[in-house]
Amino acid sequence: MLTKFQSKLQKLQWLKTLLLSLVLLTPFTTSAAEELMQFKDAQQQALYRELTAELRCPKCQNQNIADSNAVVAVDMREKTYQLVQQGQNKEQVIDFMKQRYGDFVHYQPPVQWSTIWLWLAPLLLVAGLFFVMLQKQRKAQSDAGEQGAGKIMAADQELEQQLQALINQAMLNQTNQTSQTNQTKHQSAREPD
Amino acid sequence: MMPEIGQLSLIFAFALSVLLALVPVYGSYSGNVRALLLAKPLAIGQFLFSAIAMACLMYAFYHSDFTVINVASNSSSMLPWYFQLTASFGSHEGSMLLWVTILTFWTALVAVFSKSLPLLMQGRILAVLGFICVGFIAFSLFMSNPFERSLPFFPVEGRDLNPLLQDFGMIVHPPLLYVGYVGFAVSFAFAIAALWGGKFDSTWARWARPWTLAAWLFLTLGIMLGSWWAYNELGWGGWWFWDPVENASFMPWLVGTALLHSLAVTEKRGTFKSWTVLLAIAAFSLSLMGAFLVRSGVLVSVHSFASDPSRGLYLLAFLLLVVGGSLFLYALRMNAVRSQARYQLFSREVLLWGNNVFLLTATLVVFLGTLYPLFHKELGLGSISIGEPFFNQLFYYLVIPFSLLLGLGPWVRWKQQQLPPLLKPLTLVALLALTIAIGYLAATQSLAANLALLGCLLGAWVGMSAIGEVYQRAQQLGGFSSGISRLQASHWGMTFAHIGFAVLVIGVAMTKTLSVEKDVRMKIGDTVELNGYHFTLTDVYALNGPNYGGQAAELEVYSEGEKVTHLHAEKRFYPLQKTVMTEAAVHARLSRDLYVALGEELSGPSWAMRVYVKPFVRWIWLGGVLMAFGALLALLDKRYRSSTVKVREKTAEIAGVEHA
Amino acid sequence: MRKFLFFIPFVLFIALAAFLFSGLFSDPRQHGSALVSKTLPAFELPDLMAPTTLYNAEKLKGKVYLLNVWGLWCPTCNAELGFLTELRKQGIDIVGLYYVQPQDSAFGESFDLTKLQQDVVKKLQEQGDPYRLNILDEKRSLIFDLGVTGAPETFLIDAKGQIRAHHVGDINPQNWPALGAQYQALLEEAAEHKPTAEAATTAGAAYAN
Repeated sequence: MLTKFQSKLQKLQWLKTLLLSLVLLTPFTTSAAEELMQFKDAQQQALYRELTAELRCPKCQNQNIADSNAVVAVDMREKTYQLVQQGQNKEQVIDFMKQRYGDFVHYQPPVQWSTIWLWLAPLLLVAGLFFVMLQKQRKAQSDAGEQGAGKIMAADQELEQQLQALINQAMLNQTNQTSQTNQTKHQSAREPD
Repeated sequence: MMPEIGQLSLIFAFALSVLLALVPVYGSYSGNVRALLLAKPLAIGQFLFSAIAMACLMYAFYHSDFTVINVASNSSSMLPWYFQLTASFGSHEGSMLLWVTILTFWTALVAVFSKSLPLLMQGRILAVLGFICVGFIAFSLFMSNPFERSLPFFPVEGRDLNPLLQDFGMIVHPPLLYVGYVGFAVSFAFAIAALWGGKFDSTWARWARPWTLAAWLFLTLGIMLGSWWAYNELGWGGWWFWDPVENASFMPWLVGTALLHSLAVTEKRGTFKSWTVLLAIAAFSLSLMGAFLVRSGVLVSVHSFASDPSRGLYLLAFLLLVVGGSLFLYALRMNAVRSQARYQLFSREVLLWGNNVFLLTATLVVFLGTLYPLFHKELGLGSISIGEPFFNQLFYYLVIPFSLLLGLGPWVRWKQQQLPPLLKPLTLVALLALTIAIGYLAATQSLAANLALLGCLLGAWVGMSAIGEVYQRAQQLGGFSSGISRLQASHWGMTFAHIGFAVLVIGVAMTKTLSVEKDVRMKIGDTVELNGYHFTLTDVYALNGPNYGGQAAELEVYSEGEKVTHLHAEKRFYPLQKTVMTEAAVHARLSRDLYVALGEELSGPSWAMRVYVKPFVRWIWLGGVLMAFGALLALLDKRYRSSTVKVREKTAEIAGVEHA
Repeated sequence: MRKFLFFIPFVLFIALAAFLFSGLFSDPRQHGSALVSKTLPAFELPDLMAPTTLYNAEKLKGKVYLLNVWGLWCPTCNAELGFLTELRKQGIDIVGLYYVQPQDSAFGESFDLTKLQQDVVKKLQEQGDPYRLNILDEKRSLIFDLGVTGAPETFLIDAKGQIRAHHVGDINPQNWPALGAQYQALLEEAAEHKPTAEAATTAGAAYAN
């Protein structure tokens, strides 16, 4: 069913290209704008985009080299462009930059013993918190099994305490009313006790 | 004259805050009811004087009083009047006064709306808030005075407001963000008051819940607006940069979200008590730490204020006192509290715990990503950078289990849930989600974009499950049509917030994977094609703004022969600040944004242009707005408006039910 | 045990506060250098005043010196000239590496060496001339290979052509003592090694003969 749907869409695609070419030929005689940076293929272009987004401008506050116009960022962009055109891969370009500007220049920290905690700590936290939950739940289960009645008693006590607290506070409010004579009117109007 | 009145008001506010921090404490230890009752007028007075101070500062900005240093360095007479007003919180000093005003406003609100609380509790909460006010008002008054004059020599013209801040987003973004940030001070104060009294029952959670909800609502809106502002003003189509300052606002939001869910468990089931208190402390502590990071210059960020080590030192000392003190109190008091947990492994409690686990892990990821470079460097291990690739990688892994749990959560009951009754509706939901996600991507013919598919799937799962759950609940309440009107506002709030999250996830996944862009050189009359849209540059001309010059470009956009829209992009030059700003042209639709940024002039004459088509980018902010709307609905729930009597009746009613 | 668990948040926070405290007193803009203890990268660049004379890493070897990256367009560099000239009088060997900013050809800007030479001579006459020689890096190639992010920046290079320190920002009476001490230490090191190095070359010469 899906393939049928897709083939239908493909037919529409054909119609779309026809329409587009018609549009381009007819009303306005425009020239296509040229790309600022010419690349051999789409992959190189994508690589260049990725690299300029991940490399940090070492002079700026906190910007990647794609978004900065500092001289060093422009030079780094230019160098990245050259290296990508030479057919170097992502790792090679990043290494090239790191040799000159250090680990600081890449927004992805290197994985080494001093940085491993960046990944390990979240993992440990997830594991640890789930472990705590399991422990707690297991303990509660066994507690409930042993002294189910006691638990209900405790719950009752808590409710009792809550009620007592509410009564206390209501009484305190009463005292408010008597001590604050100017407020009496408001309060009695709002709370028909 | 006005700056002096402002100064004086701030001094009065300071005096009142000192009293507010002391008098109720005396009252709570001596049992003096009058001392406790004094807290309310003190809190209100403190707010009034802070508000007067803020108004005086705005007045000085409005009238371009350049004898005030703050005005001279952050405003100019050429600035439009509305930006002159907002410039009053564009600088460190002004924004600190805004922070103070909002903090005292929350304090006054607590004083006015806490009639149903026991007097002792009221006094303690207000005393804690008063103590925080003392810290910030003193900071504003002694370390960063916004009213300082430069008499007798003063400039005839100001240095203008940072052009980045001259935008509508900036008028509303900081106040909303601060309302959110500072709002967590209220839940913090509730938690500390509870620790102080040493009594932890579910009533504590019930009182704290609406305040947390309100703070969260504003923080959500504030962050969303900040993101929207960056998208429009920074000119490269990004909406989130993982900058330390953004992260500083994201961390309290994540913990605040966890707190909202944990509060629900504590209120409804009386468990997770120590955990909830810790989250309440953490949410506000992270707000405070954010303020420290932004204002101390410890981290390098695009947005941070000009830094001054003595200010950093003060804020750090205050942080130590407030956060260190409260965590110490927590350690002393909380280990004695035990909650009676009675629930099975498959229950809402456990699922909400799962929600908390992932939200907290996300917070840890943001925290490490923001501060680890500092740790690394201070330990002498060298400088590293942590940015988008790291955060994106870890958030991909976090959002998957989180979304799966989120879709499941609302269906599952408290205490214990049997699996079989859920299987049928949830399978249905999963199937629907699959159909929607795959169907959409098949229609757009980009099945290769696995990530978009995954995001769509997760979003659809969460969204469908939220809708399905409402349907089922309504059925249980006696038929769909009558049941749906009987659903509580807070239930609707949850549903909307969850759908908002689903919309956000879809927006992020689609924008991240399916956005296309082109960097081109265009002469007038040139056309660039992108994703079937034809952008034609028709004109470029000089701009003549009130306080800026520059160039503007006009473009026509056609798609399949039909005109889609007309775009107007600007590149502004602000002479006073010597800054160039990009005002991107955006044509927004639910399914996609067309985004054009005008770059520098090249030979020819021609212009560098950046053109983007960003599918579903609106969904990101729409999701945020839906989440905030959900919070608003939940706030409107009847039970938060009940007075003392009703609360008492309700408790009795619950007690009766449970006894029977 | 349970009691201890509740102190974990407090302890973690105190540790965090300690880091934040030490962070207050370190400049986040200083982020080390990847070049220290590497040899000076290979290059082939002309003298600023006599462009026909070419320098390379090999030619500069054999002496301890400071390589100072500077430019007329950079106000901090100009402010630094006076102090550097004083250092030269004390016998510190300083080589200039002239940083040329990119020209915008779209607006008819182009690089004019004669004008630059005139401006440099004038400037150095006014402020003092600290440089033994000045290397012109028009395309910023050596500057890029040195990981320079702006000007002024100064490298301390030993007799073997190895980079021993990379200083970002100006050199002034406050921060010179540390760098100066390192410079003196390198001088002594070079003096120790020199006899053996000479012995080696003479031995080599003997072999060749």
